[in-house]
Amino acid sequence: MIEKEVIIIGGGAAGLAAAITCYERGIENLLIIERNAYLGGILNQCIHDGFGLEKFHTSLSGPEYAQRYINQVQEKEIPYLLNSMVLEMNAQKELMVANRQGLHRYRAKTIILAMGCRERTRGAIAIPGTRPAGIYTAGVAQELINLRNYMVGERIVILGSGDIGMIMARRLTLEGAEVVLVAEKLPYASGLPRNINQCLYDFDIPLLLNHTVIDVKGNGRLSEVTLAAIGKRGGIVPKSKRRIPCDTLLLSVGLIPENELSRQAGVIINSVTGGPEVDERGQTNIPGLFACGNVLQVHDIVDNVSLEAEYITEGVIGYLQGKKTNKVQEIRIILGNGLRYVVPQKITTIKDTIFSFRVNAPGKKKTLVFKEGSTLIHKSFFPRVNPAEMLRITLPAEELKNIKSLTVRLV
Amino acid sequence: MNRQFVCIICPNSCQLKVEYTGKKIMEIKGAQCDKGKEFVKNEITNPLRVFLGSVKVIRGDFRLLSVKSATPIPKKYLKIIGKMTHALKVDAPVEIGQVIAKNLLNENIDLIATRKIFRKDCIYRNKG
Repeated sequence: MIEKEVIIIGGGAAGLAAAITCYERGIENLLIIERNAYLGGILNQCIHDGFGLEKFHTSLSGPEYAQRYINQVQEKEIPYLLNSMVLEMNAQKELMVANRQGLHRYRAKTIILAMGCRERTRGAIAIPGTRPAGIYTAGVAQELINLRNYMVGERIVILGSGDIGMIMARRLTLEGAEVVLVAEKLPYASGLPRNINQCLYDFDIPLLLNHTVIDVKGNGRLSEVTLAAIGKRGGIVPKSKRRIPCDTLLLSVGLIPENELSRQAGVIINSVTGGPEVDERGQTNIPGLFACGNVLQVHDIVDNVSLEAEYITEGVIGYLQGKKTNKVQEIRIILGNGLRYVVPQKITTIKDTIFSFRVNAPGKKKTLVFKEGSTLIHKSFFPRVNPAEMLRITLPAEELKNIKSLTVRLV
Repeated sequence: MNRQFVCIICPNSCQLKVEYTGKKIMEIKGAQCDKGKEFVKNEITNPLRVFLGSVKVIRGDFRLLSVKSATPIPKKYLKIIGKMTHALKVDAPVEIGQVIAKNLLNENIDLIATRKIFRKDCIYRNKG
C-alpha cells in the first residue's frame, strides 16, 4: 500500500489545476492518476480557440491552455501516472490502480475527484432504426478528426445544439464535409450564442429548433435520417416528417459526469447535476473526498473548471491540517423557482462561498435572490440568463453568518 | 439599417443592437466592452475570424498538429485555408507558436502551431 497525502483522479483541466494549487500550498506528497496516455484530458482534442479568456486574458486553443498547466506540473515535478486506471475506490480512500506494471494499491488522506464527464449516446436518447456505421457522439468525432487523422463522413446531420456539436459543424465544414443541418429538440439552443454565430451562421448551416431525429436508416453505412418537428405538447408533428440523405449523424445531446468510482465509494450523487452532492468546500458526504470540474457539474467554460479546482483546494488543505472550522449545523440550500440546480447543495461552515447555478429557461432582466425565510441575504441582477451559461456568485462570509436556512430563487 | 449581432470575442456573447447605413455606424447598444464595438466595425466592413485546423506530423508522438492563423483573417478565406492545410506536413518536434506556413494566398496569412509535439522516439514525450 502506497500512502499519499492527496491523490487526484484525472489529469485534465480540473486535476491539473487542483494538483498545482495543492503543490503551491505546500503539499508535495501528491499524485495525479490519468487513464489516458497524456495529460490535459479533453483539452487535447479541443483545437478551437476561446479558452483562457478569464484566466490568462487571451484566447487560447485547448492544447495551448493545457500546456500551460502541464508545463507547471513538470517544472514542479508533481508526480503523475499515465495509462493508469483507477478500478476501485472505497470510503477509506483506498484505491486499486491498474496499468502496464500491474495492480497497485494506494491510500490517500484526501482524494480529489476530477474524472470529468462523458457524452450521452444514441442509446441514452433511444433513437429507433437500424444500427449502421456513421453514428458518432460529437466528442468521439472530434477525437477522430483532431487527434487520429480520421475523417468521419461527407454529408453530416448533427442532432443537439451543444457546444461540441456546433464546433464540430464548423470543423467538418473546414475539412471539406457538408453539414446539412443542426437539429435541436428544445425551443432554444443548448450551446453558447457565440458558437451559433461563428460555427453555424458563418457557414450558412441551419439550426432547426423544436426538431429531432426520429428514425435512422442504413445497411452497413447510414443512408438517411428522418427529421420531425416537435409540437407544443412535446409530441412529434406527423406532417413535418422528412427524410434527409446523409452518411453521418453526430450526437451532441448532453454530458454526464463520470461517477462510477464515486458511487462505488458511497458518494451521494445529485440527480440533477449527475455529480456528487458537496458542501461549500467541494467536500462530498465522505470526509476528505472532494470533487471539482465536470465530474461535479458540467461546465461550459474551462476557465471555470480551473477556478473551481483551485477553490476547493482550500478545503483540502484545511482537512489535512485538521483545522477547526466555524462549523454550523448543516444547512441544505432550498432551490426556488427558475433554477435547475445549485452547487454546493449544502453549507456546513461559514466562509466566502462560490455558488454555481443553472437556470431552467432563457430570460431577460432576472435577479437571483438569496433569502433566509423572508429576510433578504443577497441579490444579484443579470441582464439576461440562459441555460447554456452557468451563473457564478460569490457570497462573502459576513452575509452567510448566523443564517439558519437559505433559499435561492430567480425572479 | 438596424441589425443584431452576437459578439464572438468572449463567452459573454453580448447581443449588440447596431444602427448603420452602408459602412457607417450610427449607434451600438449592448456591448459590455470596447472589443464588442471593434467586432461590429469589422463585421460590417470585413468580418474576421481566427482559422483553426490541423496538419499532418511526421514522426511525432501525435499524428496531427493543431494550428491557428497568427491573426484573425477575412472570413471568406476560411474554407480555402482549410483545404490548403490538407497538403501541409511538418516534421516533429514542434513547439507551440512555431510558424508552420507563411504568407498563404499572398494575403499575409501565417499558420502557427498550438500543440507541443515530441518526436515519436524521444524519451521525453507527451504520451506515457
